[in-house]
Amino acid sequence: MATTHTHKQQTILMMGLPNVGKSAIFSRYTNMHVSVSNYPGTTVEITEGFMTLGASRVRIQDVPGIYRLDEGTDAAQQVAIDMLSTEPDAILFVLDAVNLESSLFLLMQVLDYKIPTVVALNRSDLSGRRGQHIDHRVFATRLHVPVVPTVAHENDTLDALKRALVKQLEAPDTDYILHVGDKERWTDIERMIRRAVKQPIDPFDPHDRTAFLIRPVSGLFMALIILGLTFGFVIGFGMALRQFILLPIFRGALFPWLIAVVERFVAHDVLRQALIGDYGFLIKGIEWPFALVLPYVISFYVMLSLLEDSGYLPRLAVLLDGYFKKIGLTGTSIIPLLLGYGCGIPAIMATRSLPSRTARIRVAVMVSFAVPCVSQTGAFIALLGEKSLFALFFVFGVSVLALVITGFVLDKLNKQPVPFTLMELPPMLMPKPKVFGKKVAMRIKYYVKDGAVPMIIAIFFTAFLYEFGVLNVLGRALSPLVSGWLRLPQEAATPLLLGIVRRELAVLPLFDMDLNMVQFITAALVALFYVPCIAMIATLAKEFNGRVAVGVFVFTTVAALFLGGLFARTATLLLLLFT
Amino acid sequence: MQATHPPISMPTVTLSTLLCGEEGTVELLPDLSLLSSLGIRMGKRVKMIAKCLANGPCILHVGDRAIVIDRAVAERIFIRK
Ligand SMILES: Nc1nc2c(ncn2[C@@H]2O[C@H](COP(=O)(O)OP(=O)(O)OP(=O)(O)O)[C@@H](O)[C@H]2O)c(=O)[nH]1
Repeated sequence: MATTHTHKQQTILMMGLPNVGKSAIFSRYTNMHVSVSNYPGTTVEITEGFMTLGASRVRIQDVPGIYRLDEGTDAAQQVAIDMLSTEPDAILFVLDAVNLESSLFLLMQVLDYKIPTVVALNRSDLSGRRGQHIDHRVFATRLHVPVVPTVAHENDTLDALKRALVKQLEAPDTDYILHVGDKERWTDIERMIRRAVKQPIDPFDPHDRTAFLIRPVSGLFMALIILGLTFGFVIGFGMALRQFILLPIFRGALFPWLIAVVERFVAHDVLRQALIGDYGFLIKGIEWPFALVLPYVISFYVMLSLLEDSGYLPRLAVLLDGYFKKIGLTGTSIIPLLLGYGCGIPAIMATRSLPSRTARIRVAVMVSFAVPCVSQTGAFIALLGEKSLFALFFVFGVSVLALVITGFVLDKLNKQPVPFTLMELPPMLMPKPKVFGKKVAMRIKYYVKDGAVPMIIAIFFTAFLYEFGVLNVLGRALSPLVSGWLRLPQEAATPLLLGIVRRELAVLPLFDMDLNMVQFITAALVALFYVPCIAMIATLAKEFNGRVAVGVFVFTTVAALFLGGLFARTATLLLLLFT
Repeated sequence: MQATHPPISMPTVTLSTLLCGEEGTVELLPDLSLLSSLGIRMGKRVKMIAKCLANGPCILHVGDRAIVIDRAVAERIFIRK
């Protein structure tokens, strides 16, 4: 039997504090897109990729940032600690030039493991901008470990780092100078920093200029302005893109041409209707995902990425912390909630950086129940925005109110002590246009792949089910619920059925229905609270367990139908009384 | 988490009572190891920047870092003004 001689593939583990640029370096080395944002806790799982080092290809792992090895404060950080015991061939430790103290402490703890380590002194451009000069050789000599100053977006510094990694892998040197106990570590760190860092005569404090964002009154005022502008931009820019660019192209040029082609070449009646009829796949399959939803996906992700990269989100989290504590959560819960307005799946994943499993489940339930994803938001804006801005604000107002009430109820049902809020605020940064543009482009690509394609497939099947009369039969079966309880026309059963597949499909079919304002809002409210899409249910089962997933499915369905019916009746009664 | 109270004669106050803009030196801390990684250690100078509404956290400047400390923890950190 022939034997093959195989080399074990070498593995490099990246470690460092949260928010120091690990993911930024990882993406540059692997050409993989990973989430890079200016707040601690962006990375919540292990991401693996491959990079070329000298003549070989090595595996590189990006893990969540952590402050200390003896204290992981959440599920994500525990992952990082556990990875150290997987015996990587080398560690690429990312030391933060703008936060040397804590970085050096963690480095000293990592060196105790005696794994070949190379240190990247990253974000050295930021410390330079503050007028600091850091002599990295002081750390290299005192700890006896290679240190390379880097800027994650500059290739030459990353090449130098690669060379140091090759050297450590080829001839590992782990003869580090170790420290025993916290006291000895802190004393030596202070001594090293005094020697290594030349402060400017008049030190620039990066936080002073932005303090108004976190002071109680000015901070809340600014939060209102920033969130208001965000909402305004998402609606205004999305509408303009849709109205002035996409719709004229689709409705003015593409659809008439498609209709003409189908009418000319497709003789079969049912097939022709399935292609260009009421649920015509060729029309709706293009119009809904690309002309109605895509504009809002673009405007939403532009704003979300700006908020993420500037460092504003952790400031918002701090401002709201006191209020969130009243519902048993910490202010950082605002980050997964806001991400949920993009897509529920990354939002549920982002709950990993919350301090307890109870908090994670609560926030996941809140996102599943009352946070519309960006596709659904686009559908709401397209549906309600044109008819009445009041109706649109009403639905979003109800979404926020429902979040607060759900939070209160979940807290009352299962009261748990709220963990302390202890964190560092990252400096506010001006987003780098190239990095920012790439991030928005990637998110749009994900929308097309994971959102638009499933939507098109669902529309394809719907077109045929509709033409063969299946939807009509189901509609009649659901009539007591849809017409009797929700007071909607029987055909509104279709979006309810489709909504299980994709959230926006619970809204989009309403477009072509002849509904009055109360019916529009009723249908929108049902769609808002209704079951999260299949992919989200699967994520809930994976992240927590089947019970949570089934519980969310049942709860959201029952609550959506109940609240929808309640609104329909109350609104009709009020209209009768006051008109 | 436990902090032993300093002797009565020490002119110390808890961190949570510092007014915005006031500075002080850390005298005594609860046993929370994350605090030291955030730069809050014995002898460190801290400056109160903001106290959030609704009994929210305190925001401090420690060197050139902005650190967020839960109000309940700030009540257990003793500062010499
Ligand atoms: N100016 C500058 N900014 C950088 C550099 N490296 C990273 N950043 C920015 O720092 C922030 C944090 O970067 P990430 O790569 O997300 O940090 P991380 O260490 O992976 O963070 P976690 O996932 O929270 O552990 C982002 O806004 C980056 O754009 C750098 O060398 N210079």
